[in-house]
Amino acid sequence: MIPAQFDYVAPASVEEALAALTAHEDAKILAGGQSLLPVLRMRLNAPELVIDLGRIDSLRGISEDGDALVIGAMTRHCDVASSALVEQHAPLLHVAVQHLADPQVRHRGTFGGALAHADPAGDMGAPALALGAEFVIQGPSGTRTVPADDFFVDLFETAIGEDELLVAVRIPKHTGWGAHYEKFVRVAHQWPICAVAATAKVDGGVVQQVRVGLTNMGNTPLRARAVEDALTGQQATADAVRAAAEHAAEGANPPSDLNGDADYRRHLVTVLTRRALLAAVGG
Amino acid sequence: MELTHRFTVPGSVEETWARFQDIGSLAECFPGAQVTSVEADTFDGTVKVKLGPIALVYAGSGSFVAKDEAAHTFLVEAKGRDKRGNGTAGANVTVDMEAEGDGTSVEVKTDLAITGKPAQFGRGVMQDVSDKLLGQFVTCLEQKIAAEHDGGAAPEEAPAQEQPAAAAPRHAAPQQPVSSGPSDSAAEDDAIDLGEAVLPVLIKHYGKYAVGGLVVVLLLWLLGRRLGR
Repeated sequence: MIPAQFDYVAPASVEEALAALTAHEDAKILAGGQSLLPVLRMRLNAPELVIDLGRIDSLRGISEDGDALVIGAMTRHCDVASSALVEQHAPLLHVAVQHLADPQVRHRGTFGGALAHADPAGDMGAPALALGAEFVIQGPSGTRTVPADDFFVDLFETAIGEDELLVAVRIPKHTGWGAHYEKFVRVAHQWPICAVAATAKVDGGVVQQVRVGLTNMGNTPLRARAVEDALTGQQATADAVRAAAEHAAEGANPPSDLNGDADYRRHLVTVLTRRALLAAVGG
Repeated sequence: MELTHRFTVPGSVEETWARFQDIGSLAECFPGAQVTSVEADTFDGTVKVKLGPIALVYAGSGSFVAKDEAAHTFLVEAKGRDKRGNGTAGANVTVDMEAEGDGTSVEVKTDLAITGKPAQFGRGVMQDVSDKLLGQFVTCLEQKIAAEHDGGAAPEEAPAQEQPAAAAPRHAAPQQPVSSGPSDSAAEDDAIDLGEAVLPVLIKHYGKYAVGGLVVVLLLWLLGRRLGR
């Protein structure tokens, strides 16, 4: 279908984009367009103005900044996937992004766009949450940084204000951590029915630190803190992982839909957490 | 889907009943609603729904279809169509009042059916649109009644709860033309009656109906193939 008519601007700087955003009440931000364009084409939205960030070069790229990686919001998924920096310092992100949709989508879709869209079944939210990402958000009055725990507010809703843009995501380095993203789908390129992002630091056979993020188990990505608490300090054995994974659904509020009801997902998440953790701790 | 909310407001049943008789102000409680005209027991208007990337505008009308002053019960039906052809929304709102101490206990039962394209999202967002609409509608009703009362006391809120209608009907007066519940076949019939043009697919329940499920699967499959994400 053809979208309803809209005006289009492609500013060359973040400041110009923010000015356009402030000047128009009914504007939408276009990043990679992999979610926005279908919405426009199905006429589920008809904004007056589309602001394309594609020409703002400063929003692209992956760099190191002390103890963190900085990923520009307009960095494409394929560039995250092929980044040696990400592979070395954020292995969880490296493995998870390979599971995001298909190669075509990964070559158009952007890291920041996916996170700002905040689809609860999106594949980037749980890894970002598990890695303790910080979201750099710029608005008319300057730049602020929001921790991952505060970024995801509700279904398709984030801490980004109406007149603000996500410009970068800072990922604390997790060098040497094991990582795995276990995704359960019916169709390979689709959104997960449920997925688990797990990353762990194992030393001398003992799990020193572990982080677990859940995809599509509520209105936002979730941290499985009960699992993390149960496994921290334990021997990295299959039994310890199995016992910890039993807590995976605690505090989750999964949806019921065609692919499975909430109870099904509650069970599924314990199985996927076990698999993800076994791979992450190298068990 | 059907939701039941219960809350208590200060004032007698008669006072509360009188306040509910302005259909225009009832309609305004739908989030983003603009009432364009009110005539006796009917109204015309638009409702704007926003959820993440979605923004829909429904235009339609509503009316009192049953009113029983003795039992302090009434039923309002509203239906609308998206301005850009994205399906329909229909709501059955049953309000039931009874005295409780010095105040009035109000039960609002809302049966909402939103149909339309299953959009390109990780899950069935139409259900979430419904949830959001309903929650805001009841909160607004409650605040409105409490604010209009001279005493101005905040209403005591009974925890709003989602429950299958079959378990709910405390006051199932026989004259109430209300759905017996979305989990049996009668609800399907009601949904069709509600708007002649409404597709007999209750988004929330498509999992239970093979036909509805097949339609959705087929659509998702087609969309998935064509659009990626």
